[in-house]
Parts: sequence; C-alpha cells; structure tokens
Amino acid sequence: MRHQPLPAVRAVEDRLFRALAVLRLVVLLNAVLLNAYRAGNFQHPTAGAVTITAMCAWSLLVTWIYSDASRRTLPVLVVDLALAVVSIAVSPLLKGEGFNATVPGFWVMAALLAWAARLRWQGGLVAGVLLAATDLASRDHVTQNNVGNVFLLVIGGPIVGYLAASLQDMAVERDAAQHAAAAAAERARLARAVHDGVLQVLALVQRRGAELGGSGAELGQLAGEQEVALRGLIRAQDSVVDEPTAPAERDLAAALAPFDGRARTTVVLPGGQVPLPSAVVDEVVGAVGACLDNVARHAGEAASAWVLVEALPERIVISVRDDGPGIPDGRLDAAHAQGRLGVSGSIRGRLSDLGGEARLSTGPWGTEWELAVPREATT
Amino acid sequence: MNEPALRVMVVDDHPMWRDAVERDLIDAGFDVVGVASTGDQAIARFPAARPQVVVLDLQIPGPSGVEVTETVLRHDPAARVLILSASGEQDDVLAAVKAGATGYLVKSASKAELIDAVRRTAAGDTVFTPGLAGLVLGEFRRIADPRKADDDPLEPQLTERETEVLKMVATGMSYKQIAERLVLSHRTVQNHVQNTLRKLQLHNRVELTRWAIDQGLDREQDAE
Repeated sequence: MRHQPLPAVRAVEDRLFRALAVLRLVVLLNAVLLNAYRAGNFQHPTAGAVTITAMCAWSLLVTWIYSDASRRTLPVLVVDLALAVVSIAVSPLLKGEGFNATVPGFWVMAALLAWAARLRWQGGLVAGVLLAATDLASRDHVTQNNVGNVFLLVIGGPIVGYLAASLQDMAVERDAAQHAAAAAAERARLARAVHDGVLQVLALVQRRGAELGGSGAELGQLAGEQEVALRGLIRAQDSVVDEPTAPAERDLAAALAPFDGRARTTVVLPGGQVPLPSAVVDEVVGAVGACLDNVARHAGEAASAWVLVEALPERIVISVRDDGPGIPDGRLDAAHAQGRLGVSGSIRGRLSDLGGEARLSTGPWGTEWELAVPREATT
Repeated sequence: MNEPALRVMVVDDHPMWRDAVERDLIDAGFDVVGVASTGDQAIARFPAARPQVVVLDLQIPGPSGVEVTETVLRHDPAARVLILSASGEQDDVLAAVKAGATGYLVKSASKAELIDAVRRTAAGDTVFTPGLAGLVLGEFRRIADPRKADDDPLEPQLTERETEVLKMVATGMSYKQIAERLVLSHRTVQNHVQNTLRKLQLHNRVELTRWAIDQGLDREQDAE
C-alpha cells in the first residue's frame, strides 16, 4: 500500500469517500425497502431480517471507519468486500434456490466503489470479478438481465478506479504546478531585492567614478556597463516569470531591451509585455537595429539615440530618434534618384512586408524613424 | 540677496547612497533638514523636518516609497517628491507618480543632474526621464484601450498635443527642443507635461474613491 499519501491524493480520496458515504446510504435504503416490499419471498424471514440488520450496522460502521483516511486500510476493505460477497452467497439459503433478486441487491456496489476509490482500477477489477462470480455461482438459472448486471459490475469497477486514479494524478500535478509557480514568484522577489542592492552600488560607483576622473572614470564606466547588462537580465527574467505567451509569440519589449546596452542608446518601454508573433518580433528587432546602425553611421559618434515602444490597441509603434544634425534637404531624394536606397529602403521594405509602414522625419532636432506594425501583422 | 536655502529630506536605506546624496545637496547649498532609511522613519520625521522636497528611494524597508509619497503629500500637499531609483523604470515608479511624485531620476544620473532635478522639482516643475514618459504614455494607452472590459466615460485621456509632447519627452527631447520644434513657449511645454501627470493622479484618486465606495467605506457618513 502507499505510504504517506500526498495531501492532494488524500483530498481527492476524501471527497470520493464522502460521496461514497451518501451512495452507500442510498443503496442501503433501496435494499431495505425492496426486501421489505418483497418480504414474502423469504423462506427464512428471521434470518433475512438479521442479514439486513447486519447490512445496516456494517454500513454505518464502515462509513464511520472510512471517514478518516488513516482508517481506510486493506483489512477494512477486505471485510467490506467479504461481507458483500457473503450477503450475495447467503441469498439462495434465505430465499430458496430459485430466487430472482439477491438480498443485498445494489448494496454491493458500495464495497466495489470503495475498492475502486482506494485501490484504483486493479482494486475495482478484483472486487467486480469477485462479486460477479459469487452472484453467478449462487443462482441456479442465469437470465440475460443477471448477465447484464454482472457485466456492469465487472467493467464499472475498473472504470471508476481508473477515473479516481486520474483525478488523484491531476490533483498532484496541479499542486506541483501551483507550488512551482509560488516558488518562482518568491525567487523573483528575492532576486529583485538582491538586484536592487547591486544596482545601487553600480550606480554609486558609476557616479563617484565619473567625479574622480582618470582610472576612477574607467571603473565608473565599467560599473555603468554592468548596470545596463543587469537591467537587461532583470527585464528578460520578468518576461519569463510573467504569464507565458503562446510559444509562437514573443515579448517585443524584452526583445528590444538589449539595445539599451549600446553606447548612448536609451530604450523606452510602455511597461508590461508587448506580445507579437515571433517572426514579427525578429523583423522589428532587425529594423530597429538597422535604424540604430544608421544613427552611428550618419549622425556622428557623439549622437545619442532613443527607442520608444508604444502599444496602441490596433498597432505597435516604435520610434527611433537621434539628436544628430538631421538629414539635409534633398539628400534623400538625390540618393533615391541615384538608385541608392540602401538602409532606408531595407527598413521600409521590412515594415511593408509586415503590413506596416516606416516614416522618416528629419529636422534640426535630429532624425526620427517611426515604425508602425499592425497587431495582426502578416508574416 | 540671500534667499533661504531649499529644505530637502533624503530617504534611502543604503548608507553610502544617503551620505553621497546628502553631501552633494549640502555642497550645492541646500539645507538637508532630515534623513531617513525606512518608510516609517520618513513618515515620522517628515512633519518636524518640513522639507520642501523629499528625495526618495522607492526600495526602502516598509512602508514602501509609494506609501511614503502618499502619506507625506497628504500631510503637506505643498511638498514635492523626487523619486531617485536604482531599479529603473518599473511599475512602482508609475505607482509613485500616480501617488503624487512629480519628479523621477535614475540613480546613475550625475551630480549636476540631481541638483538640477531637486531645484526644478522644488519650483513645481515635473522632472521626467524619457523612461517615465514612456511608462505614462503606456498607462494612458492602457486606460484608453477599447478592448478592456470596463469602459469608463470618466477615464482620463490625453489631448493630441499632450500625447505629442509626451512622445517627444520619451524620445529624449528636452523641453527647450520640444518648444522649438512645436513652436510653443517653454512654459507651455511644461504645462502639457504637468497636465499629463495631473490627469493620471486625478484618475488615481477617482479610482481610490470609487474603490472606497464599493467597499462600503463611505457608509458611516451616510448613516448620519
């Protein structure tokens, strides 16, 4: 037998046995009433009354015994089933060889289901076969009806046993999943506290280092790089801990966050996840990367860049702005005329493949790409 | 002329940080009227210290920075809260802003940026990082999302101009640059940014009130 069952297994079993207690009462009442109604069929009415009284007494006793999981032992189950078998076996003695209905009738179902609930399909099968064999053996003639009832016993036992086992397994799995989720949330909470402490120190080193100058400044810069890296990791972790998106979808915010690690690049996100199909995320990340490469090439080394992600109801808009001198009038047209579409062409191409669009605006305030992708992007 | 020094309170549980910020503020001529390392200390010391600006770390031993923001501003609505956070733009920054904080700076900001931020916060300006502007924009988008279940006619909306300004802040433009690009005055740009915060804070209060009514917290008064 199982030793120390898991709480979830026990909870399911408890419920099954509570249901069984009700069922046992119902089938007992059924047996008592039918026997009282057909009292004339008894050849030995006194012995019959004793048998039925015994069935009632045992029903009450075993219901109490089964009410505590620790008392649902094999010996009790054996006695339960044995009494059911005996109650069938004595039927010909009480009612004569040619009897139609056994004394316990459906009452034996209670013992069968107890075996199924406690000992799974194997228990249900053993109990079903034993009861069926006893029933058939005690009759001098077997009707089609008898065979049907017996057949139901034999298949019902294992089926109920199998369902009980499945319920228990599912409860165990659910418990394990809930436990894992709680543990992950607690780990994330602890990690956040640790990370915050590290980020504090990195920021402090970065700040003080910059003021010290020289090798201090180098240290400060290193601390700054680590700070950005750690922030990226935290964001990646958050997107794992949060409710998982469908496998074909990814979080665009988490995918764009690593650009924040580039020199003089700031990634600004809306908070929360921005789930899009994986292929769309790849294309958008590629396009944003191309925009940022363009910044480095044309706006000069000193230019800073910002990537803003906005999640609108029907589309996602990504703005990439630099604070460079902007593109002089006519330069794009000239490039276009010469057939040199280069980077801007590839950015526009990527976006229109997704059913979106890329718009470029430029002025003394710098250059800005606005990439719009419909939520239901085509890939 | 000798105008009185700005009174500032520093709340941070990290002693090195607290000292560094305090030193920087004193060097800049501010009057650091109080320091605290936990939410409890901050709330207890605030009334006596009467700072004009609270420089507040969000990650402090309870009550949280968000609760501290709420409590001190309820006590003295004229005070200003500047959030100084190490953990970057997260939901708790947004929560602190909804609770009434009007400035936000990441800890990796330089000393000069910190001094400037404290000064501007004290003067009633809103100090936004691009990151916070992105979060606020995102919050308004969420509020306005027609797909969400509870469609509410009272929910705040940004005007087109406010959205435009906030987007520019989120892409790293200074108020001055925005003013030039949109041909507006510096003050107008500032007002637009402030309005977005005010709407968010008001919405927060409306939601809190509604929640209180739902929970039956107003019943005692009704029983009169």
